[in-house]
Amino acid sequence: MAERKLRVGVIGCGNIFNLAHRNALKKLENIKVVAFMDIKVEKAKQAAKEFNASYYRNLDEFLDLDLDVVEILTPTYTHADLAIKALKSGKHVIVEKPIALTSEEAERMIKTAEKEDLKLFVGHVRRFDKRWMQIKEILKKRNILPMHIKKSEVQRLPFPETYWYWKNNKSGGVAIDLGVHVTDFLRWYFESEPVEVFALGKMIKKEAIANNTYDHFVMMIKFNGGKTGIAEVSWAYPYPARYGVFYHHLDIIGKNGRIRYTPMDTPVVGVAKRHFEMPRFSPLLSTFPDAFERELRHFIECISRNKEPVVTAHDAKIALEIAEKALESAKRGEAVRMEVRE
Amino acid sequence: MIRFGIISYAHPHAIRYAETIVNNPKAKLYAISGDGANSDVAKREAQRFTVKGSIVRFYENYEQLLKDKKVDAVYIAIETYRHKEVAIRAAEEGKHILLEKPIALNLKDAEEIIKTAKKNDVKLMVPFNPRFTTPLMKAKEMIERGEIGKLEYINAISEYVKPPIFLEGLDLSWFLDSKKSGGGGFMDTAPHGIDSLLWLVKSEPKKVYADIGSKIYGFPVDDIGTAVLEFKNGVIAVLSAGWGNPKGYSYNLELKYYLVGKEGFLDVRTVYPDFTVYQDRAEKIYWERVDVENIVKSFVNSIIYDKDPPITGEDAKKNLAIILAAYESSKTGKVIKLSL
Repeated sequence: MAERKLRVGVIGCGNIFNLAHRNALKKLENIKVVAFMDIKVEKAKQAAKEFNASYYRNLDEFLDLDLDVVEILTPTYTHADLAIKALKSGKHVIVEKPIALTSEEAERMIKTAEKEDLKLFVGHVRRFDKRWMQIKEILKKRNILPMHIKKSEVQRLPFPETYWYWKNNKSGGVAIDLGVHVTDFLRWYFESEPVEVFALGKMIKKEAIANNTYDHFVMMIKFNGGKTGIAEVSWAYPYPARYGVFYHHLDIIGKNGRIRYTPMDTPVVGVAKRHFEMPRFSPLLSTFPDAFERELRHFIECISRNKEPVVTAHDAKIALEIAEKALESAKRGEAVRMEVRE
Repeated sequence: MIRFGIISYAHPHAIRYAETIVNNPKAKLYAISGDGANSDVAKREAQRFTVKGSIVRFYENYEQLLKDKKVDAVYIAIETYRHKEVAIRAAEEGKHILLEKPIALNLKDAEEIIKTAKKNDVKLMVPFNPRFTTPLMKAKEMIERGEIGKLEYINAISEYVKPPIFLEGLDLSWFLDSKKSGGGGFMDTAPHGIDSLLWLVKSEPKKVYADIGSKIYGFPVDDIGTAVLEFKNGVIAVLSAGWGNPKGYSYNLELKYYLVGKEGFLDVRTVYPDFTVYQDRAEKIYWERVDVENIVKSFVNSIIYDKDPPITGEDAKKNLAIILAAYESSKTGKVIKLSL
């Protein structure tokens, strides 16, 4: 029996849609993207045209549609409200990371999904990136037990100071926005729960100072079993903006071995033209495009076959909680204890 | 000409220092004493360096060496817990002192060493290597010329290999006894990182938070650790140090610095320039290691020209205070405030 294609609606047709989800959605066979919504209706219209779909500016009208899945690709502060409304309208939800601006909001989203008996998935795309999947697999295969993981995710954020990323009340700043990537990564790799967090933050670029938000943030997170994670996230690395590159560095010291990754070791396929172009294959990409495709494919399959995903909304909430504790630590100037309950 | 005595081969650095002293035109390796671990190696080395017309005397213990009026300066490589006893006696005998790091087991001992050296008007230097390497000197010069703008953040790595208990015939088991060494991998390698941070940042840390432990090999002492430091001038530094490099790692000693300024970024991937040999495994060979050469040179010059050595006892004590604070933070889970 041929399965009915899942009907997908997308809210938010900005950066992450255009850079990542647009192409990934096109590659999925078991879905049909039927509607787009954006408060900047021109953006929804443009996307709709490309997918031969309808477009909306009004949320209620959009949620009245017969949709199986709503993908939420909007600024972080809008996630909770949109997700809860979509869930209450009977739609499964896939939301970009961070799950929400606060863990309180995240908790409400999770509760709503449980009550409505619908799926809530969060796009922690690192879990679907070949690099990190491979390294995690090698740790298992070669019997290496990570005890110390230092992960850096650093870039120069190329947006002006008025942009929502720079606003604490919209993105949570770099500590939350990139922070949740690394905190989730550490939990994923250590397979253990955090117990203590210490963090220091800085405001380096004028955009950060103007918005009173950290653009450089270092966390040290102690996990159960004497494991230590060191997370460095930054929007302030002084790379030329036009390169827009993003660096991951990873150093795992473990019982029975060590693994390091730095993009400096890996080749790049670049294009030399009169103007600079982003590399076609580059380890400097924050995420390889196929990771988004793999992520969405997995989530769609979990929805249509009613399966548990490799990364749950609960995982996403804990990732956010760690980052919140880190911000609290930076504010108080001392280490903060935390306890994760199942 | 400065006549050197080497006291003890307990610390394996003695091998490199002996060679370097021999090659320094203003210095002469005059005597070696066999205190502590590896006294057989000390004796053998004294014979090896004895060439026609130039005897390197061997003394069973440091007291005999210190009584030799011809010795101008000593390099002390004895187990850390004996630093205080030996350094104080050396000062009392009027010998200038190049003392292996860490300066002592605790700050009180460090203070006594410093005081005695002052009282007897002898030079006291504790060597930390990275700042004497070409790449890091270059980085410092670029920072001070303002090439990367205001310095904001440093991520430093000072990692050494898992210490073999017997290395080239040397017995290093005292490194795994914290009563003798003061600590394990972090105590062994972090002082280098701390010194270069102090030197590069030109400020002092006001607080430190750290996690240090016996995490990898099951040693009775810690093997790796990481400290987060906030300096008075706002610079943040993360230092990972210890014995984190497995046997198959292509570097045995790895000193790295990622330096972030407001307007630029320096990536000091190694302070020891290397090339790689690939056989059964990849191995980095350092083609330049000027650090010990520069240390001996600056110590000798501080004696000849009667000036402060580039790293004084006070500097080494400050270094130890930070290291001890990191251990305390790790033990208590608290942020330790420093007033240096």
